[in-house]
Amino acid sequence: MRFLPKNNVRAVPGLLTLAFALAGGAGARAAEAVDFSRQVMPILSDACFRCHGPDAGTREADLRLDLREGLFRTKNDVTVVVPGKPEESELFLRISSEHEDEVMPPRESNRQLKPAEIDVLKKWISSGAPWGTHWAFSPPVRPAVPVLQEGGTVRQRETVTLEPRARVNPIDAFVRTKLATLGLKPAAEADRAALLRRVSLDLTGLPPTPAELETFLTDRAPDAYERVVDRLLASPRYGERWAWDWLDIARYSDTNGFQGDPERTMWPWRDWVVNALNANMPYDQFTIEQLAGDLLPNVTREQKIASGFHRNNMFNGEGGRIAEETRVENVFDRVDTTATVWLGLTFTCARCHDHKFDPITQKDYYALYDIFNQMSETGRNQGGGQIPPVMDMSTAEEKERLKKTNARLDEIAKEVVAFELIKFPRPEGKPLIDSPEAAQLPGNLPATHAKVEPRRRNANGLLEAIPHFRETDPAYADLLQKHLDAVRARDNANTRITRVMIMDQIAEPRETFILNKGNYEAKTDVQVFGAAPGFLSKTAPRSGTLSGDESLANATGAVPPARMNRLDLARWLVSEENPLVARTAVNRAWQAFFGTGFVKTAEDFGMQSEPPSHPELLDWLATEFVASGWDMKALHRSIVTSATYRQTSRATAEQHERDPENRLLARGPRFRLPSWMIRDQALAAAGLLVEFAGGPAVRPYQPAGIWEEATFGKKTYQQDHGDALYRRSLYVFWRRIVGPTTFFDAGARQVCTVKVARTNTPLHALVTLNDPVYVEAARVLAQRVIAQTPENMTPAETDEARVEAAFRLPTARLPKPQEKHVLLARLAKLRGQFAADGAAAQNLATAGEAPRPEALEPVEHAAWTALCSLILNLDEVLSKE
Amino acid sequence: MACNRYEAVHTRREFLAQAGLGVGAAALAQLFRPDVFAATSVPPVPLGGLPHFPAKAKRVICLFQSGGPSHLDLLDPKPLLSERFNEDLPDSVRRGQRITGMVAAQARLALQPSKFGFQRGGKCGTEISDLLPYTRAIADELCVVRSMHTEAINHDPAITFFQSGSQLPGRPSMGAWVDYGLGRLNENLPSFVVLVSVNAKRSGQGLLARLWGSGFLPSAHQGVQFRSAGEPVLYLNDVPGVSRERRRRMLDGIAELNRLQQAQSGDPEIETRINQFEMAYRMQASVPELMALENEPAHVLESYGSSVNTPGSFARNCLLARRLAERGVRFIQLYHRDWDHHGGLHDSLPAIARDVDQPSAALVSDLKQRGLLDDTLVIWGGEFGRTPYAQGAANREKYGRDHHGKAFSLWMAGAGVKRGIAYGATDEFGFNVIEKPVHIHDLQATILHQLGIDHERLTYRFQGRQFRLTDVHGEVVKGILA
Repeated sequence: MRFLPKNNVRAVPGLLTLAFALAGGAGARAAEAVDFSRQVMPILSDACFRCHGPDAGTREADLRLDLREGLFRTKNDVTVVVPGKPEESELFLRISSEHEDEVMPPRESNRQLKPAEIDVLKKWISSGAPWGTHWAFSPPVRPAVPVLQEGGTVRQRETVTLEPRARVNPIDAFVRTKLATLGLKPAAEADRAALLRRVSLDLTGLPPTPAELETFLTDRAPDAYERVVDRLLASPRYGERWAWDWLDIARYSDTNGFQGDPERTMWPWRDWVVNALNANMPYDQFTIEQLAGDLLPNVTREQKIASGFHRNNMFNGEGGRIAEETRVENVFDRVDTTATVWLGLTFTCARCHDHKFDPITQKDYYALYDIFNQMSETGRNQGGGQIPPVMDMSTAEEKERLKKTNARLDEIAKEVVAFELIKFPRPEGKPLIDSPEAAQLPGNLPATHAKVEPRRRNANGLLEAIPHFRETDPAYADLLQKHLDAVRARDNANTRITRVMIMDQIAEPRETFILNKGNYEAKTDVQVFGAAPGFLSKTAPRSGTLSGDESLANATGAVPPARMNRLDLARWLVSEENPLVARTAVNRAWQAFFGTGFVKTAEDFGMQSEPPSHPELLDWLATEFVASGWDMKALHRSIVTSATYRQTSRATAEQHERDPENRLLARGPRFRLPSWMIRDQALAAAGLLVEFAGGPAVRPYQPAGIWEEATFGKKTYQQDHGDALYRRSLYVFWRRIVGPTTFFDAGARQVCTVKVARTNTPLHALVTLNDPVYVEAARVLAQRVIAQTPENMTPAETDEARVEAAFRLPTARLPKPQEKHVLLARLAKLRGQFAADGAAAQNLATAGEAPRPEALEPVEHAAWTALCSLILNLDEVLSKE
Repeated sequence: MACNRYEAVHTRREFLAQAGLGVGAAALAQLFRPDVFAATSVPPVPLGGLPHFPAKAKRVICLFQSGGPSHLDLLDPKPLLSERFNEDLPDSVRRGQRITGMVAAQARLALQPSKFGFQRGGKCGTEISDLLPYTRAIADELCVVRSMHTEAINHDPAITFFQSGSQLPGRPSMGAWVDYGLGRLNENLPSFVVLVSVNAKRSGQGLLARLWGSGFLPSAHQGVQFRSAGEPVLYLNDVPGVSRERRRRMLDGIAELNRLQQAQSGDPEIETRINQFEMAYRMQASVPELMALENEPAHVLESYGSSVNTPGSFARNCLLARRLAERGVRFIQLYHRDWDHHGGLHDSLPAIARDVDQPSAALVSDLKQRGLLDDTLVIWGGEFGRTPYAQGAANREKYGRDHHGKAFSLWMAGAGVKRGIAYGATDEFGFNVIEKPVHIHDLQATILHQLGIDHERLTYRFQGRQFRLTDVHGEVVKGILA
């Protein structure tokens, strides 16, 4: 595996010193050396570039401080920067001036330099003013991994608990080196249960099952944790969990947005994402197929579906719309999204003028625009939510195939039914779950196998079932294998019968002209041809480092030999020329695990971005990611097996105060889970979750009238029933103009979102307290724990065991005595209250549509339901610990 | 002197003044606050440095008329259109202005007069249409702005522009900016509340929740819609079987366990979580109290018109707006839809005008009577106006008009805005603004100004730049300020 540390015992003299210098951040500890790109450039960018930067349109005094020529220029006997001599450098004199008319930045700009910033600039000049480019614009160079000495900065394990850590994960070497320079120590490892819950949620979006927890807690093998990680990475839930983040990026929705908000069918694209992630498709291929799958030689159906990435944007089909305006806006969106995801740059700024801070010219913008300007979409919308080009997948042959595969599945299902009647004895006509043996199946099998009649079982459930029965009942396992084959054949046939929006390329290319201020009807006479951004590209015409004016003047109108198309661009984006592709991907992954990326501004790696917290680690991971063959799972594995990730999140108030956002990584991540994951967790804890993968979206509970109100009754929400209520959040129907009410702090799915907010409003509390999905989950969780009736226990002991079970399902730990005491006291009160209020008990005991055992006494059921609701609203349950 | 070394300082200064490109003091102050993205609690207090100057308005009520009310039939009389009925709109007036896809194919643009009369109202004598008699009766309280103009000509971009300062989705709405800048005035209700009314015909343009979204601001600043049907706030009601008493005890239990957890984990966010649940609990009481009108005197109810008794009516929402204002809600955003009269304006406009005329005027009077008008800014208007030419054939009785962004009207009242004036003017066709133009960004700058906010200094850093409601534009309309 590529991501394992290599050669880390090699001594690298001097490296620690360097790391020390870099670790200090602007100003404070920069005594030894000042890093131009990471410390000086950000100050110049933020304070000076607005008037002395790349945008020719607003440049003052004809002075550009973003270029070497400008920074060191001499004009009228005045030199901006004289290396080694701050007192002779006009730049230093101006920023340190106390004279109202002299000082830079000017007073009225509202941007004053802090003393520490002035100090950085002074030290930089004193030390000879070494020049360089912005760090993110140079390709990442694989840094040597710092060596951690025993008894020095590396924390040796006191006891061997999980694995023989003969070699240090490089992540830890980088993180701990920085901690050591600050005199900080890493936290101890999280306890096993907390760790298992954390890694299960992170990799699959679901908490561990009691059986998984038990297995891990009793598995004392040194590689127990690594095997758990491998199991989670191999789980089909992995793709479902990580698809969510990608759907936010891709602004995926089941409707167009805007007025009327017609439905569209893009779920085959969503399923493609899940499958690609599960198959661990290399990120470069993942990129190319989504940006230009349709242009690949010998294109497959899947590659065409993948190209739907850039059909996920909104589409304004308003009556009075001018088609061209819509078309142009859609092209803008594709340019902006591409730049955000694969370049981490705010290209949008260059739509109307040269970028103010980054060397992106307006021409660079329209060079990308030209690439996305070549599809057949017209901006007219006559096809509801299915705007051409679409792929109609329902050929006669496929329909025939679906029919055949369904018939085959019926056949097998009958065989399975017959087999199971004997294997799992139970009353005639009752489901499998009524057989005690089936009810006690491990893992999710009660939910995915025993509860589901054979005809409705899905591939994921069967995938789990087959290995389970392989040893005990090979004949049954063989039959289930046939069953799985039939399900897969049917799924395969089924997912093809649909029309999905894809990309295409017109034969006669449109001409692209720079649009004045981005106005669709204000074409200038400057023609632009598809090209990678000039300042990053070695092959493209190098317009980026020139001023916008010059690059415009150079436009001749002749088609350059290498006019890039989408496929060229996609390949370029994942080529060595793009210094940002791996960094942005790695940064987003880190953000998902730790709450904040190395670069906090995940959407912007440009001059105005926040400098990375761990620049060497970021670059190490980025280069390793590429070297590993863009292996996403290996990247994730590398992160979650690090000691840094495995630290406990517990910390003292003082430690929290010192580093509230945990940017130094001296403790494990702790923050509120995304709302979709909270929902999935509640369903899983209750045993309600139906793990049926893929297919059209589902419509679970939603308060009446939400769609109607937003659309004046033109759209009616038809709630689903049965299994559809309990599918994973990924499959919930997303109406773009009014998203699912059950989620909060979710991406709006309107434009590309690489970072979603985590806020805290009372409205969120109302959701987890009162949304029917949570009330029902509490009610069914209550059933689940009541059903566990241990033998030979007193009623008090039984209560205690049940409280433990209810607490453990969502938290993966047993309540402490004091906690148990609070819960049991609450239970006693609740019993009394509900006994006195039979109607209330009846109401709560029947919340939601999931079945309940008739025999269950409502007062008892209601009391447990209220208690489970309390548990599901604990901060610990809502959070990743 | 160094000031001539790098060309003239004043050039740069002028540029900055014009473009308003400074890094806001608000943004600097923000550096000293806990980061709102990471530390998830929302400070209920104003940003440092705010208000920038003493505020005239403590709160805003925006009565948004979605669809594009016809200024020519409501607030901006144009007798010339009658004289030149069915003549072509002169090219000298149109000046190549783009028109929507809906009339672009129309052979001619025939001038269309209003069939409705205009009279002078109040002592000030501002002319207002017969369709708005109640509004006309309070003309002395109003500042009618007849020189509004916008850049968008289709609903969604135009409404988005009005609400967020940008035609493209994704920017924070005005209410979100205000909440972000000024914080809360009360502990029991959200600071930015949205009320959407249902018109008699139950039709009109769709409304998108993002119009009151927080864009790139933390989502805690987004508007909270109080709904007229079902629960006023989503998931507000305790579920059947959970009494207030039981909820109270449950929250006590949660808090107790959360505190035990906090003792272990040390995370200060847990205290925030406890407060979050407590405020949810308080809202469960304060919202129903707000929505319950039993204690409103009969004469007050009557003043809003009989439809005040219908939940979801504009009248009901106007009354609720006053109650929200009384309870310290900072930004109260109403929407009333169906002003989009491409055809059948002669029928539909009187009906919808009846929906809103009496309650809008009653709200102003009610606020005044309670002494709230002095520090409440009321704004009434839509995203654009309508064309002086007919959509389809011109007809003195039956006609429709297309969207028109070059000129339209709205009115404002209260909180330091001049009373009893008409501000700005359009040409004789009502097509172009010819006097004292007020751009949407100017309006937004003025609203913020009345709240004590310098619109150039309320900024938020996103994607490497400082964003503001008014982009790089907008000037406070001093001429309408008392």
